[in-house]
Amino acid sequence: MNVVVLLAVILFVLMVLVGGRQGIRSFLSLFLNFGVLFVTIFLMTNPKNSPIILTFFACTVISCISLFYINKTNSKTITAFISTMVTIGVLLLFITFVTEKSMIQGFGEESTEEISIFSLYIGVNFVQIGASVIIMSTIGAIMDVAISIATSMHEIFYRNPSISRKKLFTAGLSIGRDILGTDTNTLFFAFFGGYLSLLIWFKDLSYSIGEIINSKVFSAEMTTIFCAGIGIALIIPIAACINAFYLIRTREKTEKLL
Amino acid sequence: MTFFKNIPFKQAIFYALLALCCGVSIVFVHHNEQFYDRPIAEITQVDVTASEPMTDMYENEDFLFTQEIMAIIKNGQHKGQSIHLTNDYSSSGAFDQEYHVGNEIFVTLDDRTTQSVLTGTILDLKRDQTMVMIAWIFIFALLIVGKRQGLFSIISLSVNAVILSFALDLYVKHGGVSLLLVSGICALLFTIISLLLISGLHTKTYVAIVSTLLGTVIALIISSIVMWLTGENGLRYEEMQFLTRPYRTVFMAGLFIGSLGAVMDVSITMASSIFALYEQDPTISVKALKSSGHEIGKDIMGTITSILFFAYLCGSIPMIILYLKNSSTLGLTLSLNLSLELARALAGGIGVVLTIPISQYTAIFFINRKRVQG
Repeated sequence: MNVVVLLAVILFVLMVLVGGRQGIRSFLSLFLNFGVLFVTIFLMTNPKNSPIILTFFACTVISCISLFYINKTNSKTITAFISTMVTIGVLLLFITFVTEKSMIQGFGEESTEEISIFSLYIGVNFVQIGASVIIMSTIGAIMDVAISIATSMHEIFYRNPSISRKKLFTAGLSIGRDILGTDTNTLFFAFFGGYLSLLIWFKDLSYSIGEIINSKVFSAEMTTIFCAGIGIALIIPIAACINAFYLIRTREKTEKLL
Repeated sequence: MTFFKNIPFKQAIFYALLALCCGVSIVFVHHNEQFYDRPIAEITQVDVTASEPMTDMYENEDFLFTQEIMAIIKNGQHKGQSIHLTNDYSSSGAFDQEYHVGNEIFVTLDDRTTQSVLTGTILDLKRDQTMVMIAWIFIFALLIVGKRQGLFSIISLSVNAVILSFALDLYVKHGGVSLLLVSGICALLFTIISLLLISGLHTKTYVAIVSTLLGTVIALIISSIVMWLTGENGLRYEEMQFLTRPYRTVFMAGLFIGSLGAVMDVSITMASSIFALYEQDPTISVKALKSSGHEIGKDIMGTITSILFFAYLCGSIPMIILYLKNSSTLGLTLSLNLSLELARALAGGIGVVLTIPISQYTAIFFINRKRVQG
């Protein structure tokens, strides 16, 4: 039996035991997201497609799956969806700029040995692919913040329907701050764990600090961590603003009708 | 100007110091050439002298360019002299790059020939300037939005990074210590430091620490059993990058540390919400606490596993594309490049799901103890 298959089965059983029907849906959405990721990679191999635009579409589909499929379509998930897409758009521009400036695309000299058997002139735009990798790595966390803020702000609004827009916005910000710490933590450790072998490599081959900071792989890793943090920070005011705007506008509309 | 008046004196000093650090560090990385041993040159002139289309053996089309570069050496004994370099790059840029005027690059100098102009080879771009810029954007974004929590998460990131680096130093220098032991101790420190910074000295923090450690250890045991039962069938270590050590321990240690953050996220979320319910109504029944904990757990389970999922899998995108464009078969490409990442993500997911009941019961246990004492 295959390790991955067995682990997947265990995860599925646990999710069902703990989450019941919602557990099944969570597992299915992981599966669907994997499918989307895979199709995106496949489309990226065609040099005529721009990886950035593909990433934007992939992120749209992934957020639709994670927000509308798991949590059903309602005003919470719609505002969460809008905030996710706005943040992804802004972040994409920033990340493309950063990857172009720091030239962290493709493979570093540390990988020379393993890629030596391949033809590297394959026509796809690796700078844009680098940007896609960074944005796709963080989309999970960005959606998590978006849905948490939307849910809590709706809750606050229903408990206190006469709340002012500014107060609602500040409440949203403070909810965001509480999740900021844990979500950045999740991503930091995931990246630390993923790059453990790289860190041991640097230590074993006694790289100097200057060599580490300027090397392509390390810069790429740090850029990913920093951009993940920036993304999580960025979505908090965006989501708070969109939710406050939406909730107050709905109230004003109903008031007019009365 | 009311914005500035509202800031207390201490905070004003803090921000001023921060701005000063930011300014100094940016000036420093733009003028730190003399601290490097390797020669650095700043590009002053670039001419693209040749460009030709090329098709490789798999019918992939690309463009190759050649740049003639004039640059000025910024450090070492040849400081101030100009150097002539050539750079070949492709439009896809998987392993090469186009340089622009103003870029600073590391070079090696050829032995001095009869020519009047120095020649050499380009090694790599000097990236520290961009890295420092991004680091400051990151710090300011977290501070402006997150205020106190942002500061704490920056502190937690840097303290944890220092601990990890220090622990790996110890591990590399003393061959006798096992990597799993080192990462176990690291994990303990990471958990305590991060959770204390996130939620302070509070019973819910202790609950979260206990359940994080239990959850990760159990997840690790389950994955070890699975790997042992299946004889690691389907795990392809060949493509594990940057290996200088036995791959299995490196993989397990990475799995351990990688899932830690997600497990912490679950346990602190569960602990704080169960404690919040208890504090609102100290007479609340254990049954009610259990069922609310269950509801919260169900909600966060999916999102946190998908955070892990994307963080792990997306890193292999460039390699998968390289494989596919080199006419590797789909099955081989995926199993070589994704098996380890998938195993890591799934093991992390198992940790996340397991931690839900664990933290629920730990929280209720602590609450019951509090009740007995109170």
